[in-house]
Formats: sequence, C-alpha cells, structure tokens
Amino acid sequence: MVKKIIFFILIFYILTLIQTSFLVHFNVAGVIPNLVLITVIFINLFSSSWLQKISSAVIGGFYLDIFSLNNMGGFFGFYTLILTGFSFFLKIILERYVRIPIIRQI
Amino acid sequence: MKVRLNIKLYQKNIKKIIAVLVLLAIIVIVSNFTGFSKNIKNFFFLISSPIQKSFWQAGKNVSVYFTGILEVRILKKELDNLHLKNQELLSQIVAIIELKKENEVLREALGLGLEKEFQLMLAQIISKDISQDSILINKGKKDGVLEGWPVITGQKVLLGRIGQVYSRFSEVILISNKKSSFDAKISDTEIYGIVKGEGNFKIYLDLIPKDKAIFEGKDVIITSALGGVYPQGLLVGEIKTISKSDTDPFQRAEITPFFNIKDLDYLFIIMEW
Repeated sequence: MVKKIIFFILIFYILTLIQTSFLVHFNVAGVIPNLVLITVIFINLFSSSWLQKISSAVIGGFYLDIFSLNNMGGFFGFYTLILTGFSFFLKIILERYVRIPIIRQI
Repeated sequence: MKVRLNIKLYQKNIKKIIAVLVLLAIIVIVSNFTGFSKNIKNFFFLISSPIQKSFWQAGKNVSVYFTGILEVRILKKELDNLHLKNQELLSQIVAIIELKKENEVLREALGLGLEKEFQLMLAQIISKDISQDSILINKGKKDGVLEGWPVITGQKVLLGRIGQVYSRFSEVILISNKKSSFDAKISDTEIYGIVKGEGNFKIYLDLIPKDKAIFEGKDVIITSALGGVYPQGLLVGEIKTISKSDTDPFQRAEITPFFNIKDLDYLFIIMEW
C-alpha cells in the first residue's frame, strides 16, 4: 500500500507539472485539460481499495493547491478538500446506487 | 444478521470519513492561518522549477507547430481579408493618383487663366477611338453638356468639339476627324484658311491664298472667330509641310497638332465664351 501511495505522489507530481507547464500551451478556448482531476476520477471509479481512492484525491488535490496560484483567493487546501469530498461522495454513490459488474471486478 | 453487519460497516466508514475530513480541515486551516502554506508552495516551486522550465519550453515548441497546423484555416481567412483590404487600399491609391492628376490639370489651367476667359467643365477621357479620331468623355446630358461645345486641353490646345451626347458620356470629335472643319489663321498674321481633318490624326490647313508666305515648322495655327464654331485664339498646331500646285489657286499645309491624345487624361469643355 505504501508503494502505491509513493507511486501516486510521483505520478500526480508529474501530471501536475505537465498540466501547469506543458498543457498550458494547448488551451482550447481558454480551457486546459485537468489531468489530475481526470486521474482522480478514474482511480475513484475503478479502484477497489478505499485507501487508494482517498489517497489519490488528497495527493491530487494537494498538488493542485500547490501549483494553483489563484484558487479561491489563495486559500490553500481548496482543491484537497474538494477532491476528498468528491471522493467520498463518489464512494457513497457507487456503493449504494451503482451495480456494475465490471467495476466490482476491477 | 447480514443487515446488522452492513450497518456496522457503514457506521465505521462514516467515522473514518469524518475523521479524515476533520484532520484535513485542521491541516488546511492551520497552514492557511500560520502562513505555512507559503513555505510549502515555495519548496515545491524551488524543486520543480527546472522541470517546469523544460516542460514549458517543450510545450511552447510543440504548440507552435500544432497551432500552425490548426490555424491554417484562420490564416487563410485572414489572408483573404488582407487581400480584400489590399485591393481596397489599391483602389484608394488609384483614386488619389487620379485626384492628383486632376488637381495638376486644374492648376495648369488656372495658371493660364483659362477660367477667366471661358466657362469650363473638367472631363476625363473614358476611351479613345483613335482610328475614328474621336474620344469618349465622362460628362454627358446629365452634366449639362451640349453638342458642338469646344473641347480643349489645359494648355489651351484645341482638341475638337462635342459630338454625340449620351446621358452620362459624350463623344468628342477630334479636329483630325474627317467630319471636322473650321476657320483658322496663322498666328500674328492675317492669313486665314480652313482646317480640315483627314482622319488618322492628319490635319490640313486649306484654302490659303497662294500669294501669302507661310513657313514650315515655324507658323502656328490658331482658331479664328469667323466660323463661330470655336472661340478665337485656341492653339491648333504648327505647319509641318506645305504643298502648292500650279493649277490650284490656293496652297495647302499639313499641320502637326499640339496635342498627343495618348498622353491625355483630362480635358476641358468650354461651356461659354
């Protein structure tokens, strides 16, 4: 599990750097693809481990907070809270209302 | 039994969620209020800046290439717009050049004092029918042009008279036209004759008494008031060659006209004299 978290720390770090330095040049109508958010959603949808889900949300949110300069007037922790809350929300939705065999298998 | 187990698991999860959220909230609030977040950010910026620089440069290079491809359509549109603007500007330049020419002609005419002698109307040549010895000008019935009005250049050189008048255009019958004939005299003398057009820009001064001495390349022909066709004193041309015959009581001279129709753009119609 620790390995997985270290992997997340690294991968989210690289994704954040790509998002903030590389993809900035490829904005379509001012919109830049949020790789971190996409990855967090992906992990939260298809991972079976609760710890993996929540750690991806916290790490992803933390990096977004670090590299975002104007989130909610400089409120540090905005993305961390949002993504963590989102992860919990998704978990509840998936556990209570969604029954997809493929997701369960993964 | 199963339902109870589920409830227990759910309660456990809820507790976990609340614990994590509370912990996070505390960290966030503390880091925000103590300014610790700035230190964290600074640390990450410091270690990331070399990688960010290279990512930034790479992104810039790649985006330049891709935007070039993606913006071909936009560029094409812009190019079309620029072409249109260019054409518009070119037409404006042409209009300015035309105005400049017109201005120069008017200045020249004013310099000669033509406006004091005659009531003039400026006209522009639209087309030249050189083989027919007539030209078309841009003034017609709507401008008040009437048939028979004399047409001159800014240098007071006679060109001809108005022939057919259309609503916005008029035909000018040049003095070299076969239809043209009028009274003229040699300048500074009392030698009179009739200027006749022979076509193809050839003009002759006919019916000059044989006893009168005229000189090739020296004598200048001007209009006389005798016929009433043209005002007096308009320049016609100078004598090129003189032909005499023993049987004929008059002598005849070929005239070189003072105007060169190919160089003309603007001319004046004399409305009153």
